[in-house]
Amino acid sequence: MAEHELYHIIHQLEKPHNLQQAPQLLSKAKLGLLHIQALVPSSDTTPQHLHIATSVLEHGALLSIRLKDTEAFTRYYQQLQPFYSLPHDRWQRDKRPSNQSKVTGLYLLLLLSVGDYAGFHTVLEGLEMSSGKKQIEKDELIQYPVRLEQALMEGSYDKVWGETKGERVPSAEFAVFSEVLINTIRSEIASCSERAYPSLPISNAKNLLFLDSEGAVIQFAQARGWVAKEGRIYFPQQEAEALAAEKDVMSSSNTVIENTLGYARKLETIV
Amino acid sequence: MAEKMDIDTSNGESKEEEKTGGPVAPAEMSTEKIISTNFALINQAVDSFDPRFTLRALRSIATLRKREDFAQALGAGIRQAFPKESNNARRVLEEMLPESVRQQQNGSAETNGKKDEVEVVEIAEVWAYLGVLVQVYLLDTASHQAGATFSLNLVSKLRSFNRRTMDPLSSKAYLYLSLFHENLAPLPPSPQSPVLTLRPTLLAALRSAVIRNDSDTQAAVTVLLLRNYISTADITQADLLVAQTQFPASAANNQVCRYLYYLGRIRAIQLAYTEAHSNLEAATRKSPTTGAAVGFYQQATKMLIVVELLMGDIPERATFRLPVLEKALAPYFKLVQAVRVGDLGGFVKCVEGNEGRFRGDGTYTLILRLRQNVIKTGVRMLSLSYSRISLRDICTRLSVESEESAEYITAKAIRDGVIPDSSLDHEKGDLLTHSGRDVYGSTEPSEAFHERIGALLGMRDECVRAMRYPGNRNREAGIEAMKARERERELVGEVLEAEDEEDEEMGGGMDGL
Repeated sequence: MAEHELYHIIHQLEKPHNLQQAPQLLSKAKLGLLHIQALVPSSDTTPQHLHIATSVLEHGALLSIRLKDTEAFTRYYQQLQPFYSLPHDRWQRDKRPSNQSKVTGLYLLLLLSVGDYAGFHTVLEGLEMSSGKKQIEKDELIQYPVRLEQALMEGSYDKVWGETKGERVPSAEFAVFSEVLINTIRSEIASCSERAYPSLPISNAKNLLFLDSEGAVIQFAQARGWVAKEGRIYFPQQEAEALAAEKDVMSSSNTVIENTLGYARKLETIV
Repeated sequence: MAEKMDIDTSNGESKEEEKTGGPVAPAEMSTEKIISTNFALINQAVDSFDPRFTLRALRSIATLRKREDFAQALGAGIRQAFPKESNNARRVLEEMLPESVRQQQNGSAETNGKKDEVEVVEIAEVWAYLGVLVQVYLLDTASHQAGATFSLNLVSKLRSFNRRTMDPLSSKAYLYLSLFHENLAPLPPSPQSPVLTLRPTLLAALRSAVIRNDSDTQAAVTVLLLRNYISTADITQADLLVAQTQFPASAANNQVCRYLYYLGRIRAIQLAYTEAHSNLEAATRKSPTTGAAVGFYQQATKMLIVVELLMGDIPERATFRLPVLEKALAPYFKLVQAVRVGDLGGFVKCVEGNEGRFRGDGTYTLILRLRQNVIKTGVRMLSLSYSRISLRDICTRLSVESEESAEYITAKAIRDGVIPDSSLDHEKGDLLTHSGRDVYGSTEPSEAFHERIGALLGMRDECVRAMRYPGNRNREAGIEAMKARERERELVGEVLEAEDEEDEEMGGGMDGL
């Protein structure tokens, strides 16, 4: 009986219009799972229950992405982990959960957008260990965040821009992250430009920062504290740094004195 | 990867033999003689409560396992220690040995005059030692399933003994237990590997070791747990273990080496390269570089090289020329060359060509991260060589797809401090370098010196703390010192008395005036 209800709920979740009612449906579904004791997989859970449980949790994960609820998504991902690490023979008819790569890819993308590179690499290591490289290479949904991370690390932000724009995005859920990523790279490019260019014409700045109009450029410049004059942008940071460098010499004498006193003390202890 | 590690640890325990270049005598003695000498050593250890005798007995494991008559000698040893055939302890050990060994009957079986109960109590360590030898035998004959079950029994029995003299033996038992489980199918890194079932056992062992202040077992089990977690890529769990436990400071050197190596690996995966570098450097420095334990040194050096590359430094060429390292490090040498020059094409070719070897060493994923290092080095080379270079040229040199990418990459490089004192000229599309940066004028040399001095002073402190004084000599020296001090005191007393007498005389003289 409970299974029947669960199938019904899953069916409802798959319809695209129920976004607002989704959280309630999901909590009902989770209660149902608890009734049949399938929320956490154990050795006696039947394959059928496993399928139901994974599809409920996966729907939950994908819907929370659409609702932009990152905490809920992380929770669903953690709950799905024990299911994903089960061996093949637990799943009858060789039907593994279909959305595994999607959910994993989304999680990787989430880690990237908050800048948690250590977590990103840890998860990637775990994936390589369990599925092997060949599978990961073929899997477009996982390769997408991997490519993005590579491009971000290198600094070729135009590649990132190209990936997040339009057709190259593997599916609708990934597009949710595109905005966050574009903001990230925009601030990255801005901080790089501050150090690299003495000044920039506004039209070039528009292209560099992937902004749409010159007005947007001026707004952005003001927000970051740059000076916009005569159609060019001047970056003020470097002078402040030059002053700081000079101060370094004075403060470093303090460090030198401390260090030398330390050496003297330690040397005294050497008999 | 499990294989390589196998060589490491099984060679690791022969490090103990390497340490003091083992006594020459066992090489000439028969296998049976060695085992009986070890019994005497173990008894001595129990009597004098000194672990050094047990360690000496354990050192001979490496020579024993190479002998062809190991199994027979082992059977004879068991019969010698437990003359009564009905003894439970003896039966447990003998079950593991092949039939032929059990049947051999020596004429004079009743050599020991001890009673049964006394046997069990006094030479429990001997039983443990024989258990470890049986483990070694089973490992060498690759009977992993039998070995795994036997080891579990052995280990649970050992845990029930709360004897400090048992510590070195129980740490060895845990090591072999872990090795057996690693060889059972399905092999790690599969998530169904039996090593996962081993984790609760090891954790419980760690708890009891800490409570009993058993630093040998504590160190050994911590290292085994880390190895376990890393083999299935459970890096977060390994990190938590390191954060929650303390590695005992009085652990043996080879356990410290292993611990530092695994810790370095965890940190490298978590992108904490500086910490990883210091750990791995300490591991390579402390590890023996000759003899049977070379495998560990090679492995640690490989990791160290990769971490150095990830930090942006180029490892020294001299490391690759050491005779013990030359062959093992050959693919890494090519890798370093590609990174040094900034040659992206060569780098990709090298990685693809040696993929199998890198995977076996567990460095493959780390090496993939080197891609951006190659690019950064390339940019740095270009900025050093040219005062002004067009972005198009940079694009072709670095094998980057487009000029825009090249522009972004150089801007990022400037921001990250890879090429300081440079700027981009957007209209002309050039990279300009302003030279004239005098390194000696800044604080860099003094910082480098400070680090080195700190490291050396730390090493000196560690050496002083690690010095050990053998008891007898110290006592004698102490007695002599005491006698010398007493003599001095007497002398001082005499001199003072003489002064007083003089004073009195003087005073008397004055009075007389």
